[in-house]
Amino acid sequence: MEKSVIVKDITKKYKLYNKNSEKLLDLLLPKSYGEEYFALRNVSFEAEKGDVIGFVGVNGSGKSTLSNIIAGIVPPTDGNVQTNGKTALIAVSSGLNNQLTGRENIELKMLMLGFDKNRIKELEPEIIEFSELGKFIDQPVKSYSSGMKSRLGFSISVHIDPDILIIDEALSVGDKNFAEKCLEKMNEFKAKGKTMFFVSHSIGQMKKFCQKALWLEYGELKAYGAMKEVMPQYEAFLKEYNAMSKQEQKKYREEQMKRRSSALV
Amino acid sequence: MSSALTVLKEQIKHFYLVRRLSVYEMKSANSSNYLGILWEIINPMIQIAIYWFVFGFIILNRGENFLPWLMAGIVVWFFVNPAITQTSKSVYSRMNMVSKMSFPMSVIPSYVIFAKLYQHLMLLGVIIILLGFTGYLPTVYILQLPYYVAATVLLLFSLGLITSTLSTIIRDVHNIIVSLMKVMFYLTPILWVLDAKEHPTIVNIMKLNPLYYIVEGYRASLLGESWYLIAHWEYTLYFWAVVIILFLIGSSLHVRFRDRFVDFK
Repeated sequence: MEKSVIVKDITKKYKLYNKNSEKLLDLLLPKSYGEEYFALRNVSFEAEKGDVIGFVGVNGSGKSTLSNIIAGIVPPTDGNVQTNGKTALIAVSSGLNNQLTGRENIELKMLMLGFDKNRIKELEPEIIEFSELGKFIDQPVKSYSSGMKSRLGFSISVHIDPDILIIDEALSVGDKNFAEKCLEKMNEFKAKGKTMFFVSHSIGQMKKFCQKALWLEYGELKAYGAMKEVMPQYEAFLKEYNAMSKQEQKKYREEQMKRRSSALV
Repeated sequence: MSSALTVLKEQIKHFYLVRRLSVYEMKSANSSNYLGILWEIINPMIQIAIYWFVFGFIILNRGENFLPWLMAGIVVWFFVNPAITQTSKSVYSRMNMVSKMSFPMSVIPSYVIFAKLYQHLMLLGVIIILLGFTGYLPTVYILQLPYYVAATVLLLFSLGLITSTLSTIIRDVHNIIVSLMKVMFYLTPILWVLDAKEHPTIVNIMKLNPLYYIVEGYRASLLGESWYLIAHWEYTLYFWAVVIILFLIGSSLHVRFRDRFVDFK
């Protein structure tokens, strides 16, 4: 099988500052100020063409950071990502300009993604058709509901014909009808052998759709493999975590938080 | 040097993108009010009227010739001032629109400047007509006007590369620039000018400001006074030296930091 995404030793560090002056000193002086925080640490995995991979993990485990790095929006601090083909990220807040109409946003977004004039003209009617916005397409985006916005964002992203598609919680907003339409479109992509990453808290949706799962825990790769193997482990963990008392949960979180800041490394 | 070439190449390669994005920039700035783009004419006219009244009659008592003199100089200020303040925040305020690291970031300041340029050309047209009514019909000297427009754009772009990078890293830079521009308004010969024979030193110091060259150049072409760029050729050389130095500094700053712009969001 051909590899489509190779992620090697990705680390993403953020700096946490307690004061604004620390931030300034860190910028100006060679000495390091502030506390380092690992959003991701030494994450490596490979995806093959046609893989549909679900990212699982509790809130703040680094799923969105990883999606952003694979999509090429955020640079990693260390390590590298190799992607074969065009990537597209679909997120709920996908950079639409509120003052402009839906139609104008389509052109704007595609220009930003590097499409030329003719290709945009060609794709525009399809996108409008798929988004089901009707006459709202010529209204400013600020008048859209959140569902309409995500529909527009999703329509644009799937029509730019990406080879690697990353879907970050974007399907939780649309109604059932549209979600089904999206799943249909994604099955179409699956059949074409495109690679997809899927971030969602809906375990049911994930089981139905993904063959592989990647479990992130506090910025580190906990498990990666077939859905059948990883998901039961994750579910067992969730069960255990939920069974803990409030205090135990808090202790657990604090312990993990310590592991992620550099002070103790 | 190589970063200057990178920036220049990006500008040429993505000129279509700059043009389209600047149109949208203008649309989204003016779409929510009824008079829309007309405000870009109305607002300067009101300001010219009040400066004419206050400085022409009350403070300086400059009499009849003050109005054409004021209009010919201030017209470029209505371009330079918003362009400088808005390019300085252009990069960080648009980071969420940029959904790819490969996006040619250096087009952001340039499309913001272009959006302002269209409005400037409109206002310039109106001012030329008004000057005709006050007895200053266009002369052969107006042929040098395109040169000054181009010189202004290049100065703004070189400056914009520096300010947009710095204020992305440290937001306060933007506030400094906004205040500085208020000071510059009085240090550029827009409302008043010193006689070079009476105060040669002060005038020479004021001439270090490249905007001095632009404002006087606009005046020379609109009021039909002289071939300013040839008559003051040493000053022309100085101006271009400043622009080139600013551009070299700006492009190296921009290229050095642009991969990390998204981390400063």
